[in-house]
Amino acid sequence: MTLTERARTILREPLVHFLLGGALIFAFFAWQGEEADPASRVIDVDEQVQAQIALTYERTMQRPPTDAELDALIDRWVREEVLYREALRLGLDAGDPVVRRRLAKKMDFLAASSAQATEPDEDELADWYRANAGRYAEDTRLSFDQVYFAEQPEAAAVLTQLRQGWQGVGDPASLPGSIEGRGLPAVAAQFGQDFANRLAGMEPSAAWEGPVRSGVGWHFVRLRAVEVGEVPPLDAVRQRVIEDWRLETSKTREEEAYRLLRDAYQVRIER
Amino acid sequence: MQKKWIAAGVAAVAIAAGAAWFSGAFKERASAAQAGNGEDTIALSEYPDRPYWGDTHLHTDNSVDAFGFGVRIGPEAALRFARGEKVTATMGMEAQLDRPLDFLVISDHSDALGATKRLMNAPSALVRDPTLKRWQAMLREGGRQSVIATGELIDAAATGNIPEALRDPERQEKATRDIWQEHLRIIDLFNEPGRFTAFAGFEWTLMPDGNNLHRVVMFRDGAPTIGDTLPFPGLDTDVTDLWDYLAAYEQGSGGQALAIPHNSNLSNGMMFEMTGPDGAPLTAEYAAKRARWEPVVEVTQIKGDSESHPFLSPNDEFAGYGIWGWELGNLPLTAKATPDMYGGSYVREALKRGLSLEQRLGVNPYRFGLIGSTDSHTSLATADEDNFFGKHTGNEPGPDRAMAGQNLGTREGRFGWHYLASGYAAAWARGNTRAEIFDAFKRREVYATTGSRMSVRIFGGPGFTEDSFGSDWVATGYREGVPMGGVLTDNGTAPAFMIEALKDPEGANLDRVQVVKGWVDANGNPQEKIFDAAWSERPMDGASDSPVPAVGNTVDEATASYTNTIGAAQLRTVWSDPEYREGQRAFYYVRVIEIPTPRWVLFDALRFGVELPDEVVKVVQERAYTSPIWLMPAAEET
Repeated sequence: MTLTERARTILREPLVHFLLGGALIFAFFAWQGEEADPASRVIDVDEQVQAQIALTYERTMQRPPTDAELDALIDRWVREEVLYREALRLGLDAGDPVVRRRLAKKMDFLAASSAQATEPDEDELADWYRANAGRYAEDTRLSFDQVYFAEQPEAAAVLTQLRQGWQGVGDPASLPGSIEGRGLPAVAAQFGQDFANRLAGMEPSAAWEGPVRSGVGWHFVRLRAVEVGEVPPLDAVRQRVIEDWRLETSKTREEEAYRLLRDAYQVRIER
Repeated sequence: MQKKWIAAGVAAVAIAAGAAWFSGAFKERASAAQAGNGEDTIALSEYPDRPYWGDTHLHTDNSVDAFGFGVRIGPEAALRFARGEKVTATMGMEAQLDRPLDFLVISDHSDALGATKRLMNAPSALVRDPTLKRWQAMLREGGRQSVIATGELIDAAATGNIPEALRDPERQEKATRDIWQEHLRIIDLFNEPGRFTAFAGFEWTLMPDGNNLHRVVMFRDGAPTIGDTLPFPGLDTDVTDLWDYLAAYEQGSGGQALAIPHNSNLSNGMMFEMTGPDGAPLTAEYAAKRARWEPVVEVTQIKGDSESHPFLSPNDEFAGYGIWGWELGNLPLTAKATPDMYGGSYVREALKRGLSLEQRLGVNPYRFGLIGSTDSHTSLATADEDNFFGKHTGNEPGPDRAMAGQNLGTREGRFGWHYLASGYAAAWARGNTRAEIFDAFKRREVYATTGSRMSVRIFGGPGFTEDSFGSDWVATGYREGVPMGGVLTDNGTAPAFMIEALKDPEGANLDRVQVVKGWVDANGNPQEKIFDAAWSERPMDGASDSPVPAVGNTVDEATASYTNTIGAAQLRTVWSDPEYREGQRAFYYVRVIEIPTPRWVLFDALRFGVELPDEVVKVVQERAYTSPIWLMPAAEET
């Protein structure tokens, strides 16, 4: 194994990724505040590092390490840390697509994590819910009778016929004649979206209207009722709203954080 | 100063690490209605009054191969996508269905459930098997390497060389149990009676020598009933073991489940054999079990169409749809197909074989209904030509995918354009619940489409005439006849069928409606014939109506568009069998053909500005296949 190959193998380890991520975070805070010391050759294995090492072991083996095991783990950690720092010094992190992708992901994750780990405060959640209420609304429900024609019919003649009774008028089809309280998406699934939208915009009435074009032909329609879909109170769907909020906010924060960084760059693409 | 950084750094690490378990810490639970089978949850219509649309065959990142091919979105994204929400596909493209689906079965492979995901994330020090070690490295490398590793894995599964660590069900059990329980929880959360039905399921992946004998298992129940039942492994088991598993599930839980044979075109003749799995003559017991547990089969999906093959149906001008590349051999192409195998690989022939076997055994093992599904490995259930996300993440939309080799390993023969943007399952049900849709599958009142959402309805009965076909014909059909999937008893008169097809309300017009008849002749030989039953207006050739001339073609390849200036929105007819012979065993199913429309390759060519070679099929006529109605000799009424 050459040194490069060995370094590649090491760099593929999740633990290394984790450490690289940690270093990145470290660097991020350093970049925000003071200058870091890249030449540092002091390795502090403080209590927090030791706790982290022990915890990782416990997660894998389902028990805490013994003292001897912990010593060995620390030795290994120190070994990795030394190699890791030297690998950075040699610039082995550059030009490796796995490291590059992993670090970029970590940056996204860092930006998103504040949203993922916090509960939204009540006002924020309520505002967000109001802005996205449509997503949680019940479907608007339509009740109507319909008479089908495969070809566009003469409206006046059909309306006259319909005034005397509607059974038997129109062309037979496997479409239901009377529909009770069916949600708009279900109406759209059977008749097409344009037809569903058209009906949702009509006033309920005892009179027949038409012809209304659908995705499968022509219809005379008697719209008996439109029940507009209620938006449930926030408490009824709270958990779902929180999860959606979290998902969306973390996406927004990723994007915002990226924009902030991106604005500081000038990108030249050679054509 | 340094201390401050460390404190901040540690805090950030803690937040990052904490977030990973945080989302799991407050787990939402489904309501009783969501976690049940949907009985008594919603008002049902008097009889099935609309087809419900779904996909019964979808893989997510819990499937060993789907993950290896690169998918990084899971069941939750799959469910959101199916019910109509916008999600981000693995390769970063936004994905949304033009119209939501009504139901979904996520069918991740039961063998090594979640294994590639776990293998990639496992500390490599704990991976001892050299093959697994190598695959892990390749998976971590990602991209092409990951696809090659997965191809090797499928090959290994096909040839029985899977490493012991992936093979041993007991070693897999804990991992499987964790993934499965979490999966069931998510499924129930997304299951909303009356609005969207999420079914629990898995794919049983038996593949002797690479011959695809997979089955999708679909449960009627939610997590509380499924309880401790785990997905059944396919490797090292036999299909009768799977049926025993289903029987044990039903007895133990009081729930219900069924199995759906995978699109049969990659089975090299093994899916619908005339002999039992051991090579001995097929027994009545085997036939009865098969009919009991496998009421429907998947006839069309992304990996081709299995209705029939020109070799089997030389007089069928529409046979040969979606066989390109797929007819060459089995799944990994470890064995080429020869024409003598086609009979056991295509569905129409299987229906005919079923009649012969029934004559011999008294039971028809192949009395099944037909559905389509996608078998997508991208977590995205779409069979829409203008919204096709490919077979797996390696061929999500991109300029090269139509011409890229798609042979799972190193062999030749199959290309991206061979994939079909197909298919969907339509179920005639009284409402959108697990119970209603599952029961429609059980009674075979279902049909397949290659991606169009046309509505197709048939009723068979001895006495149907034009008079029966009035405004109340659906009620008449249920009262006096049987719907698709039903069985008629021969009463000495020709059976008649009330048939109606309505175009997809957002799609293309219809060319024609055909009745496909299969029967066993007096010499015991199976026969088939296709009748044009109804067609849109067109200039006819001469005195005879048959063959009906082609409908024409409005497709503009440059813009991937068509117009509905040809074809019809509705086709309907009462069709009576002109060649009826008393006492003859037969089946009848309806095939509806749409006018020609652009395939996904043309949408790709337009989007990415690429030119397609001549050999690429660019225009097709989408179609629907209904479940058959069978005609039984009177003495054998069952």
